[in-house]
Amino acid sequence: MLQARSWLPRTEGSLRLGFVQGAGETRIGTLRQAGAVRVRFPRPAEGAAPEAVLLNTAGGLTGGDRIDIDVSLAAGCAATVTSAAAEKVYRSLGDATEIRAELQLGEAAACTWLPQPTILFDGANLDRRTQVHMAGSARLLAVEVLIFGRTAMGEDVRRGAIRDAWRVTRDGRLVFADATRVMGAVADALDRTATLDGARATAMVLYVASDAPARLDEIRALLDQVSSTAGVSTWNNILLVRAAARDSQELLHGLQPIMARLSGRPLPRVWQC
Amino acid sequence: MTPDHKGVDSCPNSRLRANDAPHMDRAQRGGAASMTLARLMTWLSPAFPVGSFSYSHGLEWEVETGRVKDAATLGGWIEDVLFHGAGRTDAIFLAEAWRAISAGDAVLLKEVAELAAAFAPSAERRLETLAQGAAFLAAVKAVWPHPAIDTLSAQEEIAYPIAVGACTAAHGLPLIATGQAFMQAFAANLVSAGVRLIPLGQTDGLRVIARLEPLIPRIVADALGAALDDVGGIAVMADIASMRHETQYTRLFRS
Repeated sequence: MLQARSWLPRTEGSLRLGFVQGAGETRIGTLRQAGAVRVRFPRPAEGAAPEAVLLNTAGGLTGGDRIDIDVSLAAGCAATVTSAAAEKVYRSLGDATEIRAELQLGEAAACTWLPQPTILFDGANLDRRTQVHMAGSARLLAVEVLIFGRTAMGEDVRRGAIRDAWRVTRDGRLVFADATRVMGAVADALDRTATLDGARATAMVLYVASDAPARLDEIRALLDQVSSTAGVSTWNNILLVRAAARDSQELLHGLQPIMARLSGRPLPRVWQC
Repeated sequence: MTPDHKGVDSCPNSRLRANDAPHMDRAQRGGAASMTLARLMTWLSPAFPVGSFSYSHGLEWEVETGRVKDAATLGGWIEDVLFHGAGRTDAIFLAEAWRAISAGDAVLLKEVAELAAAFAPSAERRLETLAQGAAFLAAVKAVWPHPAIDTLSAQEEIAYPIAVGACTAAHGLPLIATGQAFMQAFAANLVSAGVRLIPLGQTDGLRVIARLEPLIPRIVADALGAALDDVGGIAVMADIASMRHETQYTRLFRS
């Protein structure tokens, strides 16, 4: 079966992006991009941290495709990484769509990781792993949005294999781990009360910083104003927001103020609607 | 020490189960099996001092919102948590910890313990698993000490399934029965919480237990065949419920 499919074109892409500190500001030290992954750097506002916008020139991913993203921020650097468009994961004939992202944050580095939503199509087979290795004094704001089918187009993910794992280490010690995993009859699983209760969009906002516990009340207050089902909790200098909504529009509408508040400045242009 | 007791404790470093060990005669196997059952019933009894009765896993919030309101919705919610939430994932953690102790693999034990502690989705769910893990370990160490669990330091964060997996392996208790007893205790604890919260009659509570009975062996079998990489689920609403529970006005439960 594998051999029969071997003629299929595969998309591969990789990015190695390193920010360094120079003359009191964050600069690009390393930049290597290959295959379907490209990166653009829109000119940041005066005094603002650099912003990297990832592009997938293949326009979407399917089984057997592989993307590797490696971003590092040296001590004291601040940068935002986002993407130009939602990542579409199409139906697979068998093989997984593999995405690996690795972030390294040096002492006092501040990384805002804001990829646009991942849209899963019927039959998608996603295996994504995001690893963050941060120094104790670093700060991370990361957002991940999963959309199960474009409900506005009448689409649903009836079947699929979705694995989306997160690991965060701080000073070498694992402090946060999470894995979304839903296999087989995906839509049936998502309709259950304790899963998504029929919703098709879910998000995680992860904030790891020394001031994380102090941000709890303001984020709670913001959550009380949103229509999606959402909650927030904090422990060990981690603040975690989780939300679910019928569709991406409703979900993002509620999340954008929270993301902007935690990042401390306006969201990248690609996130503003 | 009776020969029967020795039968349970003498094979901590193999995957052999006491009740199918080939070197035992029939009477010995019977004795070992009943000792296994007695030990599991004690360790996973609601009376074992881990305070399980004080955790609802977010169910208290679900009852508050009315999403769980009767025996049918309670049974459905617990099924989801077993299949798509902490049930299956904790069974995988338990099995990996059991295998690590059985194989004397300290590196694997550290890895699985670290992952299980980091996997909590909210402050209260973290408390739920770490407080029960610490209490379970302390009780077993005090009454049933064993060198294999001495290394599990009280300072380390030990999640509940890790404590159960490690202690049962150290004492030679079989993995499948342990997994099943652990999952049954977890489900029964949620039923008991639901009975108190909704509230439901005892008979309705038992009907929920009966509904879950055939599912538990299936989930345990799946979890025992899985690897550490297979943990995870999609019990998003249950995770959110445990977050919302933090600010619930009147609360009987710690989670």
